[in-house]
Amino acid sequence: MNHLKPLVGLPLVLVAILTFFSVMTSHFATAGNINAMLHAMAPLVIMSCGMALVVFSGKLDISIGSIAFLSATLAVLLINDHAVPPILAFLASLVAGIVLGALNGFIVVVLGVNALIATLGTMIALRGIALSLTGAVLIPLPTQVARLGNLTIGPLFADIVVLVLVVIAAHIVHRHTVFGRRLNAIGNGEDAARRIGLPVDRTVFASFVLSGFLAALGGIVALLQVGAISAYLGRGMEFTAVAVVVVGGISLFGGRGAILPGILLGAFIFEAIANGLNQMSANPYAYQLITGLIIFLAMYVDAMQHRRKAAVRTRR
Amino acid sequence: MNSAKLVMRSISKRFGGIAALEQAGLEVRAGEAHALMGANGAGKSTMMNVLGGVVRPDHGQILIDGEVVSFASPTQAKQKGVSFVHQELNMLPSMTVAENVMIDAMPTRGGLVDRKAMRLRTAELLRRLDCTFSPDTLVETLSMGDRQMVEVARALVTDPGIVIFDEPTSSLSEREKRRLFDVVLGLKRDGVAVIYITHFLEEIFEVCDRVTVMRNGTTIETRDMHAITAGEVVTAMLGSVEAEERVRPAFISIEPPLLAASCLSRDGAIADVGFEVRPGEVVGLWGLLGSGRTEILRAIVGLDPLDAGELRWRSGDTLDIIRPDKLHRKVGFVTEDRRGEGLLLPLSVAKNISFGNLDKVKGAFGMIDAAKEKTFASGFVERLRIKLSSLSQPVRTLSGGNQQKVVFARWLGTRPKLFMLDEPTRGLDVSAKTEILRLTAELATEGAGVIFVSSELEEMMRVCDRYLVVHRGRIVANLYGDATKDDLMHAVSDGRVAA
Amino acid sequence: MTVLSQPQTGTISWRALSTFLLPAAIIAALLLVMAFYAPNFFRFNNMMNILVQTSALGVMAVGMSFVMVGGGIDLSIPANMAFSAVMGAIAMRYAGVPGGVMVMLLVGTGVGLFNGAAVALLGMTPFVVTLATMTVLGGTTVWMTNSQSIADFPELFFEIVLARPLGIPVSVAVLVVVTAAASIIFAATTFGRSLYAAGLNARAARVARVNVEAVLLVTYAVSGLLAGVAAVLLTARLGSASANLGNDGVVLDIVSACVVGGISIYGGSGRPVGAVLGALFIIVISNSLNQLGVSFFINLVIKGIAIIAFICLDRISSGAQR
Repeated sequence: MNHLKPLVGLPLVLVAILTFFSVMTSHFATAGNINAMLHAMAPLVIMSCGMALVVFSGKLDISIGSIAFLSATLAVLLINDHAVPPILAFLASLVAGIVLGALNGFIVVVLGVNALIATLGTMIALRGIALSLTGAVLIPLPTQVARLGNLTIGPLFADIVVLVLVVIAAHIVHRHTVFGRRLNAIGNGEDAARRIGLPVDRTVFASFVLSGFLAALGGIVALLQVGAISAYLGRGMEFTAVAVVVVGGISLFGGRGAILPGILLGAFIFEAIANGLNQMSANPYAYQLITGLIIFLAMYVDAMQHRRKAAVRTRR
Repeated sequence: MNSAKLVMRSISKRFGGIAALEQAGLEVRAGEAHALMGANGAGKSTMMNVLGGVVRPDHGQILIDGEVVSFASPTQAKQKGVSFVHQELNMLPSMTVAENVMIDAMPTRGGLVDRKAMRLRTAELLRRLDCTFSPDTLVETLSMGDRQMVEVARALVTDPGIVIFDEPTSSLSEREKRRLFDVVLGLKRDGVAVIYITHFLEEIFEVCDRVTVMRNGTTIETRDMHAITAGEVVTAMLGSVEAEERVRPAFISIEPPLLAASCLSRDGAIADVGFEVRPGEVVGLWGLLGSGRTEILRAIVGLDPLDAGELRWRSGDTLDIIRPDKLHRKVGFVTEDRRGEGLLLPLSVAKNISFGNLDKVKGAFGMIDAAKEKTFASGFVERLRIKLSSLSQPVRTLSGGNQQKVVFARWLGTRPKLFMLDEPTRGLDVSAKTEILRLTAELATEGAGVIFVSSELEEMMRVCDRYLVVHRGRIVANLYGDATKDDLMHAVSDGRVAA
Repeated sequence: MTVLSQPQTGTISWRALSTFLLPAAIIAALLLVMAFYAPNFFRFNNMMNILVQTSALGVMAVGMSFVMVGGGIDLSIPANMAFSAVMGAIAMRYAGVPGGVMVMLLVGTGVGLFNGAAVALLGMTPFVVTLATMTVLGGTTVWMTNSQSIADFPELFFEIVLARPLGIPVSVAVLVVVTAAASIIFAATTFGRSLYAAGLNARAARVARVNVEAVLLVTYAVSGLLAGVAAVLLTARLGSASANLGNDGVVLDIVSACVVGGISIYGGSGRPVGAVLGALFIIVISNSLNQLGVSFFINLVIKGIAIIAFICLDRISSGAQR
């Protein structure tokens, strides 16, 4: 369980945050609030899992927010304007996510464009398409469908169950499948991986497809939570997902870290801060300030570790 | 046991008009450790790349177990039982030993990676290699020697019949070397045909049964280790060293030293190195590849760290202590990696030459004057006879020899008192080589001190006034310009301090 | 082997093509369309408008070009600009116009130095360092302004920055001066040469005695300084300073401008003039599509496609170098 070492500080940070907010507000540490927090962070967690898979191979996908937006838009339009049954509409969304992920994969692997620029381009273009389809207005879902957003299974919200399933599945894929191990290998060193004979291009392509799929899934969950499609869906999500990934101990250089428990802890920290500040009626943008500081700290730790390890490697 | 496991016959390969291999052959038996020796550029790597499926030969045949085979890719070579342990390890540092070993052949059960099977197979291989670390260890925590064992284990996963070791001991400690030798002996016992490539002569006498020497792309001879001496191997590798004409007579400088180094060390690379360089002389650092010559040069100018030692530089009447990064500003350093470090390939010839000389090409307001730059550069182009069509053409488009001249031009411009030339004629044709050697002599005649590093004895003997023999990071002998080729070859093959 | 290569290798002319001719061709086509469908485009006011809009974006793109040629990236430029704008606006209440402008420039440079130190001295990844800075500054700015905008600037400020001596707006003049200075630095100074070397091949640069760390540090400081300059220009034009100045749409525009302008994301090539022309390209496209009644959103789609297309062209023109 060596991947847990860099995360030693996280649970402490979390406990510190939870204690702070419990003291400052009256309803923080209640079961109901925790339920609400997990519910709210579901889309972020799902999308961060997709981002993490790409990051493990040493690349980035900053188009996930736009893929989420476009896929969700597709679902809304199918349901509202074409009377498509919700299940089919959501299925279509997921397919859209896969196709868009494949588009990213094509640009990065086949056209050989740097992943950051490629997904920057698709991020802008796809958001543009989605906005033009919706006219940037708020489009509500029909009430029966919107109610799905509050579906509960026992005491838990349904999307928490989805969250748990996705996180477990992503973790298993990364640590226990040949595909996941290849991703990790590529992140350790793309040249070494190629020389060993691993199918680098196919693996990277697949990681973008998965990222797109999970982005679409996250978009659907977000859509159901709000009950309507707004121009803000997914906006800035990619940067928050990067933050969750970095804070969760997954190195942006690739090849290090794991989905569990990092992504859950990371996302929960950010959600707890947002929730707590909200309950304190603090300035909502204090959140951004604190978030930025946390990212910076996590990155500093990542860079220091990377340098230490690189130094050891080159000593002959 | 006497049957040939591998036969490579009449292998020829040309790369764009240059013959890398010319009717080369190799024959290795099962259960034998066969040394493959040759100087830089002799064709060993190309031969092994052909065997490893990386490169396809133009002519020739490869037979494994008597059957003609042909490889279109490394994967096919692997399938036929050829495994390559490269000099550059392909490690995945953040992953476990088991994962590293089996990454290309992972066992699965029900769609998921079968870690137990992976661990078992890896443990079995590690036992065979006499390694004590567990398959769950993270590779980044292992020493270089242990990592190499992991690389060997990965090569053995497919139960190959032929294993190639390429420079396996360059970064190993004494103990790790011993372990490697035991591994090779073990492989021999198991009937594997081992091909062993190294620069370290003493090793092949310990471990190998026969040796094949290559030179200039062809096989010179193959002999039993019992029936050959170290000196004979070196002669075969380097060819008969005719005393080729010196470009200037051997010169003994009587002026006080320019640079004095003492007790230079870096763990694992350089040990207790001390020497002096005087103005007007060409000092050769002679040793086989991997002996530490480049490491010494790089450490002196601060491109690589130094653990201990002192450098002194002449200023006026005294030799003052100087830091490596300050020395960098006073020295012209022609690195051995011309394309990767010596030049900025996409930039123009003029721009490459003016680097470090920018103060000389500035005009009004301290701005770089393009016309001055061209004039400055063309001065060198003329003096060094660099062939190009325009000073603005990217240096990448020049031939190797002309590229090297551009590197020289840049350093000449800075008028250093000391030049360090690391393999300056590597990859150049005969006439370009001579030009560079003449230039080297000129630099010395004009009063600079020159440190000259090369693996080619003949060329060193044409230009050096003194020789410092380097072996495993130490200076083991100091010979003068009148040393014969035998003296020098002895010094390098014995690795001991000469009389 | 004394082979001479053709001086005009395919690589060189391809570069010129993709960097200047292609965007120029697209603009020419657009202008043609404009002439027929939206002649209002060519009115003096609109042309001036375009130039003024380009000035702030252009200044920031020049700053980004310093960082990108060195092989890095600075996502915090707009957030830095907004932050400096707000700080300067507050300072202006007490220290007058010169004080306020000074503060904008100093704060911008300070943030740039912080980024530079993290990247050059601590070895952190530029993308995430500047991402974190962007987030922190964004939050801080909104916190300080309480999500309001500051609009109480002295009249003198507008009089100076919005002046049009000889018909040329001050902001355009500033852009021209900045671009000229940057171009000279890139082409004709030791620093410029060192920068190209550091971005192309840090190892070779070190052998050539370039202090790579110092060079990279300076590039981030410069991009910070220019963010401060942009702050001055934008606050004068909009009449207010707020956190919204630095919304994430701006970062995308800056990167797009540089990419279209032929500045390679990998470092070592590109010129500041390219970045400015790229900025102009982006503004012209937006403006003309606007005039044609094309939705803002399709604008975005075109922007996204343009970025990817230009990178592909960049790769084709540099051939097998990477």
